[in-house]
Amino acid sequence: MRRKISAVVLNVLLLLLGVVTVYPFVWMLSSSFKKNSEIMALEQHLLPQVFTLDNYVNMNAHFNFLRFFLNSLVVTLVVTVLVIYTSTLCGFVLSKYKFRGRNVLFGFVLSTMMIPWCVTIIPKYSMIQSFGWMDSYKALIIPAMFSGFGIFMMKQHISSLPDEILEAARIDGANEFYIFHRIVFPMAKNGISSIAIFQFLWTWEDFLWPYLVINSQEKQLLAVGLKMFNGQYSTDYGALFAATAISIVPVLLIYLFFQKQFIAGIAASAVKG
Amino acid sequence: MFKKTHPLQSKSEIILRNIVVIAMVIFFTVFLIVPIGIAFAGSFHEWNPLSGTYNFLGLENYKEVFTSGLFGKSMLNTVIFSVVVIIFRVGLGLGIAYAIYSALVKYKSFFRAVYYMPVVTPMVAVAFVWKFMYNPQIGTINQIFGLDINWLMNPKTALLAVMVMTIWKDFGYAVVMYMAGLYSLPADALEAAKVDGANAWQTFRYITLPLLKPMTLFVVITSIISYIQAYVQILIMTEGGPGTATYLASYIIYDEAFVKYNFGYASALSFVLFVITAVFTWLSFRVSGTEE
Repeated sequence: MRRKISAVVLNVLLLLLGVVTVYPFVWMLSSSFKKNSEIMALEQHLLPQVFTLDNYVNMNAHFNFLRFFLNSLVVTLVVTVLVIYTSTLCGFVLSKYKFRGRNVLFGFVLSTMMIPWCVTIIPKYSMIQSFGWMDSYKALIIPAMFSGFGIFMMKQHISSLPDEILEAARIDGANEFYIFHRIVFPMAKNGISSIAIFQFLWTWEDFLWPYLVINSQEKQLLAVGLKMFNGQYSTDYGALFAATAISIVPVLLIYLFFQKQFIAGIAASAVKG
Repeated sequence: MFKKTHPLQSKSEIILRNIVVIAMVIFFTVFLIVPIGIAFAGSFHEWNPLSGTYNFLGLENYKEVFTSGLFGKSMLNTVIFSVVVIIFRVGLGLGIAYAIYSALVKYKSFFRAVYYMPVVTPMVAVAFVWKFMYNPQIGTINQIFGLDINWLMNPKTALLAVMVMTIWKDFGYAVVMYMAGLYSLPADALEAAKVDGANAWQTFRYITLPLLKPMTLFVVITSIISYIQAYVQILIMTEGGPGTATYLASYIIYDEAFVKYNFGYASALSFVLFVITAVFTWLSFRVSGTEE
């Protein structure tokens, strides 16, 4: 009996906390379908009394949000794919090959994660200017091609793959490029999906770097667009809710789609690390 | 580095290894080591890209950092912010993970997935959502609690409001980490405690908690590193205000570098912050008694 009561109490508590966690998302999404008069009304309801799509339609009329969205999608996908590839490759070499300097190199990669963004961002900004990469996606993509976090994650994952499989392939005459692309890569799925989600999120939400290096409005990314939009239409709450929803919902969907492998991946690396 | 190190090594292994090692070294040199060097040199200069100034100042920038009242205030805010958020993050993370882990809760992966949602949403967007939630006209928080507080404009509540938002966003990460830690505990230690007649609390206090220490350390250190660097929520929600109530150390750097374009002074601030991060990280290793 006592056990049953504590089970009920515990589950109700967890559920309440779950509601608190989800509530801001629900409130934002529901507000984005309300008219401004209803958002500002004294008496509030969680769900819209009059359902409207106006916010989404109007938003794009005075601000090219769709363009920002597509720009962000392209840049984020390119960076994510590149980082997945370089992280897996570096993780493979650092975990399965023995060579002098390997531990030094890996220690160095680890220490890159401790450097605060603020130390390197000013010089990187000046460097991008002198390379003539301003206002081009090169500035967003090339400095992001390798990730210390990604290499660390993939090294942890790949070192747990059994050497016997690789040896067997070598005896069958496979070269290392084949082994990496056809054997290691498919077997590192969990690690890859956690990097995929994190890298996607980080690139998607990064505000400062695109704000600094991209000048023309038609090339700008969503996070910067959201901030600009907020400055210009700070009282059109409905449109602001719609714009915010658009910048959150795609990332959430990706997370919900991959979350099983993803959480397994992220947790495993910390336990081993 | 590029010689054969064992006889079975194939040519393709050497080629692949060399490509990867060279690419990594070039990348991290260009985008990390060189920038650190430039920033370090710049921190001794008056450096403004708009006016094209680059004059040697010696230690002036550093002197200014340590005598600046705003930096002192922002460090105090950063310490309050980090300590409070980390305590809640660790406390909630551990408590909730232990609850989900217990036999009393059925839908374990459901809860885990829900709590993790805020962690994987973009900070810029989430900060806007909370800014609207705190809004005294349209905000849902005053409505729910029947209050009339201008959360982000009141110097007494602004930092608190930002901390609550950050706790909401980040506690799920600790939940997932602690769950991973709990599921990888050695079963025999828990079994032995049971055989010896330990009750649930004793098992938790004397077996589980010490075994989770590495995970706690991991969460605390990654939190310190990320909160010392936190500025996006400040930029979106308060811009440091009202007054200086929510100035965090990294927000000052953003402000000095990319609003006022004092690159030299901002670089000096960055290095001071970097050293502080390193010291705190080292301290938490020491406090936890883990020698590594």
